[in-house]
Amino acid sequence: MVRRSGRGAAPDSVVRVVARMLPAPSVMVAAALIVKGYAEVGDGFAAGVIVALAVSLTYVAVGADGAEAVLPVLRHAPKIAVTGLLLALASGFFPLVYGEEPVSHQPAPGEPLTKFGKLELFTQLLMDIGVFLLVVGVLVMLLHQFGRLRGEEKS
Amino acid sequence: MLLSIALLLPWVAGAVLLIANGRNRAVAWLAVSTLVATLVVLAFLAAEVYGNGNVRVVTGHWPEGIGIVLEADPLGVTFALLSVLVVTAAAAYESVGGVRTRTFPGLVVILAAGLNGLFVTADIFSFYVFFELAMTASYALSAYGGKRRQLRAALVFTAVNLLGSFIFVLSVAGAYRVTGTLAMEQIAERMLEVNPNAVLLIATGFFIAFSVKLGLFPFHFWLPTVYAGARPSVAAILSGAVANIGAYGLLRFGAGLFPQQLEQAGLALIILGAVSILYGGVLAVSRGDVAEMLAYSAIGQVGYVLVALGVAGPVGLVAAVLYSVVNSLNKALLFLASGVRGALVAGAFAIGSLSVAGVPPAAGFVGKLELFRTGILADSTALIVLLVAGSALSLVYMFQVYQRCFWRADPAKAKASPLPQRLIAAGLAVLVLAGALWPEPLLALSGQAVESLTSSSPGAS
Repeated sequence: MVRRSGRGAAPDSVVRVVARMLPAPSVMVAAALIVKGYAEVGDGFAAGVIVALAVSLTYVAVGADGAEAVLPVLRHAPKIAVTGLLLALASGFFPLVYGEEPVSHQPAPGEPLTKFGKLELFTQLLMDIGVFLLVVGVLVMLLHQFGRLRGEEKS
Repeated sequence: MLLSIALLLPWVAGAVLLIANGRNRAVAWLAVSTLVATLVVLAFLAAEVYGNGNVRVVTGHWPEGIGIVLEADPLGVTFALLSVLVVTAAAAYESVGGVRTRTFPGLVVILAAGLNGLFVTADIFSFYVFFELAMTASYALSAYGGKRRQLRAALVFTAVNLLGSFIFVLSVAGAYRVTGTLAMEQIAERMLEVNPNAVLLIATGFFIAFSVKLGLFPFHFWLPTVYAGARPSVAAILSGAVANIGAYGLLRFGAGLFPQQLEQAGLALIILGAVSILYGGVLAVSRGDVAEMLAYSAIGQVGYVLVALGVAGPVGLVAAVLYSVVNSLNKALLFLASGVRGALVAGAFAIGSLSVAGVPPAAGFVGKLELFRTGILADSTALIVLLVAGSALSLVYMFQVYQRCFWRADPAKAKASPLPQRLIAAGLAVLVLAGALWPEPLLALSGQAVESLTSSSPGAS
């Protein structure tokens, strides 16, 4: 049974359908994890891994070329990763501009927060979004490389 | 501020350069100029540190022990300057010859960011993070060239060093478990009250992790394949900059965090160092290939650092710092020189060879002199005999290869390399010469570095 789904054979239709449906909700879960904030479990890293897992299923189901045709944004994975890294670095080092220590965040601990629904607005959020983008970008780059290996084997 | 910029500059530039096409000449030279700018920032930072004392930053207004402490002290900035200098030279060397892969310039700059970070952090976990940043970049760099040889080198290098990193992070976890802190200062204080067996175990873990990086005798097995397989510029980076992590780590963790364990283990370190010197020396004599000879020579050379560390005391530590600095310059010079042909190169290689052997007009002499002083202070005939034997061996293997490479008329290799590449090798050679002709700054630097190291450790007398 396992052998049949090896080279050439298309994966099960259930897998393909699930793979198609999964990325959008995974982004919602990721957003929820980031919004949940710091008192509870969840941050940019976990959010990034969840999205990357959903995307990896797409790679398994339809292959690298297929996945990148369905979700063209995946082709920009290196740029996403670097943007994320730069965003995280910026949130860490920006305080230097107004003479504070690196990784100081606004508002500081204990100060009142602006809330937008459940979302707490503070500069730490930028760091988390940066980490999220970085993790997604790097994992998708890896998936792309592995997917391409499989493609080369076929030809 | 300077400290933060020294970290920020290569980190941001490296990230941006990673997505640029490194085969483009402009990108390669942009990487080199970033490295030069980092070097300038580090020089200012070093001037500040040597003039007005340590520069300290605690991140995010947190109390110490919660926020990460970054502290540039003389030992750290010396190693940072040295490593970035070597990386810059190697990157410029490769840019002249034409970079072959997209990612090389970005990786080199990221490597510099990681090295800077780990040399200025005073927190063992962020040390690990920067260490991994630097190592990950060097794993990718070791495959540079993309041929079978390089890929084999990269596989061996990555596998062995990941194991080393794993042992390191286990020791970090152990240190946190017994002391409840990650800040180096507090660890050093609290280690005094911890069960000595646990401390010894943790200290041994750190020792093994750094020895793997450095390629000391029982952990050296990966080194010849990697140094001989990698391209000359990458070998120069690995042996001249990345190996500094090992030397710095042994000094910082050994003399800074575990001074008592260092004293207890003194004899064992001297024996391991002695075996390293003899093993590296004897095997280097038997090798014909330049890169392979240099790899075994590297194993022998780090033995001297370990011997000096084993003798310990202020004199031993100064010798260890001095010798690591000189050795890293030597190795960078020799690996770069081994990759080029033409006028100036033979001279540069000869100076490097003299320096490895410890013969007067080169900086290696100053290093060997300090080592002999250590030996005399330790009142050990065996040590002095060992040093003489090691030096004699290195003289033999260096000039054996020198003769074979540069004295034999070989029409196949007669084509001269681009002049700038030769000038870089020659520049490093001039630096090695300058270190011997005017050794006072080097000595003062090492002295101050050791002072900063021992004054922070509570067990020091």
